[in-house]
Amino acid sequence: MRLFVVALAASLMASQAHSEYLYSISGNMAATGHTWGMNIGPSGSQSLKINGVFYQYTPVKNLEDDMLVHVRNKKVGGGYIFSITDDWSGLPGGIPITKGFVIDNLPIELWGDGSIDVEGSGSVVDANVVYSYKYNNDCLTPMSDPSCSGYTDAVLAMMGNTKIEAYDPLSDENIADLIDEKAELDEEVQQEDEEKVKAKDKLQRMLSGVNDSILYANVTSQNLLMFAMSRSNNLNPYYDKRLAGGEYKETVALNDGKLPDNKKGARVGLAQQLLHTEMVNAQYNQED
Amino acid sequence: MKKLLIASALLASATTALAESTPIVGNVQTRCLITTDTNGVFGNPLPSKLSTASGDGGVVPVVRYDVTLADAYLAKVTTPTAFSLSPSLSDSVTWTGSTQVSKTSDAAMSGYEAAKITYGSTTQFDLTKAGSTWFSSTATAVYGVSKSFPGGSYTAIVLAECIAK
Repeated sequence: MRLFVVALAASLMASQAHSEYLYSISGNMAATGHTWGMNIGPSGSQSLKINGVFYQYTPVKNLEDDMLVHVRNKKVGGGYIFSITDDWSGLPGGIPITKGFVIDNLPIELWGDGSIDVEGSGSVVDANVVYSYKYNNDCLTPMSDPSCSGYTDAVLAMMGNTKIEAYDPLSDENIADLIDEKAELDEEVQQEDEEKVKAKDKLQRMLSGVNDSILYANVTSQNLLMFAMSRSNNLNPYYDKRLAGGEYKETVALNDGKLPDNKKGARVGLAQQLLHTEMVNAQYNQED
Repeated sequence: MKKLLIASALLASATTALAESTPIVGNVQTRCLITTDTNGVFGNPLPSKLSTASGDGGVVPVVRYDVTLADAYLAKVTTPTAFSLSPSLSDSVTWTGSTQVSKTSDAAMSGYEAAKITYGSTTQFDLTKAGSTWFSSTATAVYGVSKSFPGGSYTAIVLAECIAK
């Protein structure tokens, strides 16, 4: 409960925090030598970004001498993040040179040591190197912003509890139990969903069969209906036929009043009878 | 033939009626800008002397020329030869002055000083490089022959000009 109160207080404070950049310039970084570290800005400031470099120096050299002057800063990780070279070869010295450069807000974390290096014959005097920068001072007090280092310690100290406990929700048994229950519930729900899907598929298949049967029955009944209709049309014309009426008189006349036997037919009939008898007898006279 | 003459007259009058003057306008943006970098102050080391030298308690005036086009301009700086504002003076004032390059933004400009031309109280510099150049002028006024300047305010003007080549 106490942790919850602390977290709630922290969130309220975080919602009120805001970042506004402040702008400033460094002192002369080359005042004590031609190499310098980038310890600029107020301590504890966050998001310090370099947005300008200005330098001035006076070269000391003979006209005929070759001389290069490098003003630069090393880049953390290798190379140079800022490097300008003035070529004084064949030029007179004695007149100060001053230059200014706009830098695209490069974080101070990238800036390594700075230096003025002379290559060739000659030297540099009255060097002046100044950096302009912007920063926010939200972390001058650690409780200003949750992103500030030492924020948690400061809040707990304010609440009277110097013991720092990081709350890990996954180590909370109640939360772990809830997670397990939810996982089981999800699994059951998933199984029910799968069963519902299977039942739905089965029902769809059944309905599909019924639909086919109904369709087939409809086609059959329609065919029968069409057949009955066409049958009526085909038979009705026969019912309407009429035979020509009247008397049909005998036209065949028996001249002598006798009807003789047909000897030729008798012979044929006898021969057939004999053949028939022979065939019948052959069934009994068949030798095995 | 008569019809042809009439037609020609109509065409001529029509042409005259359509004539129009079209202005051509344009702006030229200066590529040489002069800015007072430091206002000068007269020191008064002696009753009869006013000087801008720092050793005399004065402040040397500095003007800056910003040139964005190389080898196109001459810088002319003229030190004062009279007071623009002063109490009434009954004696002559002897003026001396000089102008020199005090600072540059490019190493190659360091040759300006050696190449300067001085005539009278005017010093001329050839601005052969693009960038900024600072010129400082010293001016000293001596009143009469060891005569004290009358009390009051004294003002003198350093004239800085940028002249296109």
